[in-house]
Amino acid sequence: MKRFLLASAALAVSLWALPANAAEKLVISVWGGSWKDLVEQTVAKKFKEQTGADVEFITGGTIDRLNKAKLAKGNPESDITFTTSHVGWLYANDGLYEQLDMSKIPNAKSLVDQAKISPYHLGTWAYVYTIGYRPDMVPAGVTFESWNDLWKPELKGKISAPDFDASHLVVVSAKLSGADAATWEKGGDKLKALKPNFKAYYANDAASQQLMQNGEAPVQVMLSMNAYHIASQGVPVKLAIPKEGAVLGIDTIGIMKGTKQADLAYKFINIMLDPAVQAEVATMKKGSPVVTNAKLSDDVAKLPGVFTTPEQWNKEALVIDHKLRAEKTGEWRKWFTENVIN
Amino acid sequence: MNQTEPESGAAHSRPFLRLFTAPAVITAAIFAVAMLAILQYSVRAHIPGSLDVGGFTLANFAGMLRPLYAWVFIDTVWLCLLTAVLSLIFGYPLAYALVRSRSLFIKSFILIVTVTPLFLGEVVRTYSWIVVLGNNGFINSVLRGTGIIEQPIQLLFTVTGVTIALVHVTLPVVVVMLAAAIAHIDPAYEKAAESLGAGPVRVFLTVTLPLSGPGIVAGLTTAFAWTFSAFATPQLVGGGKVNMVSNLVYQLGFANFNFPFAAALCVVGLALTYVSIAAMRLTLRPLEKVGLH
Repeated sequence: MKRFLLASAALAVSLWALPANAAEKLVISVWGGSWKDLVEQTVAKKFKEQTGADVEFITGGTIDRLNKAKLAKGNPESDITFTTSHVGWLYANDGLYEQLDMSKIPNAKSLVDQAKISPYHLGTWAYVYTIGYRPDMVPAGVTFESWNDLWKPELKGKISAPDFDASHLVVVSAKLSGADAATWEKGGDKLKALKPNFKAYYANDAASQQLMQNGEAPVQVMLSMNAYHIASQGVPVKLAIPKEGAVLGIDTIGIMKGTKQADLAYKFINIMLDPAVQAEVATMKKGSPVVTNAKLSDDVAKLPGVFTTPEQWNKEALVIDHKLRAEKTGEWRKWFTENVIN
Repeated sequence: MNQTEPESGAAHSRPFLRLFTAPAVITAAIFAVAMLAILQYSVRAHIPGSLDVGGFTLANFAGMLRPLYAWVFIDTVWLCLLTAVLSLIFGYPLAYALVRSRSLFIKSFILIVTVTPLFLGEVVRTYSWIVVLGNNGFINSVLRGTGIIEQPIQLLFTVTGVTIALVHVTLPVVVVMLAAAIAHIDPAYEKAAESLGAGPVRVFLTVTLPLSGPGIVAGLTTAFAWTFSAFATPQLVGGGKVNMVSNLVYQLGFANFNFPFAAALCVVGLALTYVSIAAMRLTLRPLEKVGLH
């Protein structure tokens, strides 16, 4: 009996000594494919090692996940959500995010200003939408020093842009017309004048890459990470950073209101902003880290659209106010559909 | 008493009728609720920057009173008609050979060629067409390789390219419907015509073709309605240059958060489908009647 009691006590002590969160699970909402892999292989891996908690993923498109989150308001399916900076504002506006307690995210002290999106969501990695082109397929003598170069008549029927987000070209046209995102209408005529140069509009990353890969549209308003992905597969694509700046995009993270795993969620976000994890993410996706103390190899740091210094963040990034973008995206998209696509 | 007897008799002869029809009724009810939700969304105001909708309004329908939207609807109907007619033209000989050929090899070959696309996802099929129709794709490579053309023919992002890909989607269904109609034609009619001196072409034009009328009407209307809801094909092969109603719904609803306007487009699109199909059936009614042998 004494032996049995001793064995039971030893078992109880050993169970007690296991990580406190051993049976706990953090549910993460993220895009599918390479984005889920990215999170799983970097931050989630380290999070599991450090906390002993498990991680489960819910994947889907940006808007699909937003709709699902709205339907599950108050009793969220996920504890943490990755989404774009401006769609993150839609989560916040609809009361789907917790207000963040920054004292629980010590790594956030190194965040670049551009990644401090709102009291509800923070940047996790950055990229740019800029001019991607095939040097072997653009007419001789065409260079891309400025966004204005997209309007060159030599590029008639050669360019493409996303059909799901018009904000890049709307704001660029406004800027080239002496206006800004808030007074975007002033760039309307300028953007309409670009219509003859469009060969096609792409609906997703795969279509963007395919258009560039097969040369159907050798000039593109392109996500930098997509360009580097196909470049790694041998497609001779280059990125230009126009003098007006490349349109900055930041993917963000927020904690769902009503989560029962708030402590784990804060730990996850803190690990996401860990300099080593940030460097790993930036290296895998060829994006920019959002903390100032991440160390990138020279090969990655020198790539156009990868920002590692305050000068780059300030001079090379064209930032559209994220909240304004969330409010205006619909209006811009409708205008673009009615006046440029159709 | 006499009035109740037939009812109880019918119930007795079909004891599982209610049980077996219950799933269909439940499914129909769920679809009806979904349709009502769309209808409800179509008359609500859009709030920029939010997924919540505002009060009741007809502004979404008023917003469609622009030439742009009229053209997209006209283009959609035109593409549907073109696809339906081309599916019929290419599908009829295949269906005829499928039913009338005595060679098992030919029957099997036609069946495999026509039905296999049904087992591929729409996206896979569409991406295949991008590879085939592209400037450096199969068709242009062959034409350039054989010296027929010097510059590639633009097929991607054109109505021609989209129509080719859409016909590929609808062709299997049209072939199956036509084959069923042709298989129901009693060969005795054709033999009777032959015995009266009609040649093979005359027999086909005056007996076989009219008698397959119901299959032609069913095939045309199904291809038309199916094409009306096509999304991936015009989206990917059209590249934003050829837009149908479903693409506009996606562009303005899902990429734009304007669900009320997207819902209004759906309602108008659905109404237009019903009107178009009713007009087609009215026009083709004589053909259908001839076939009801």
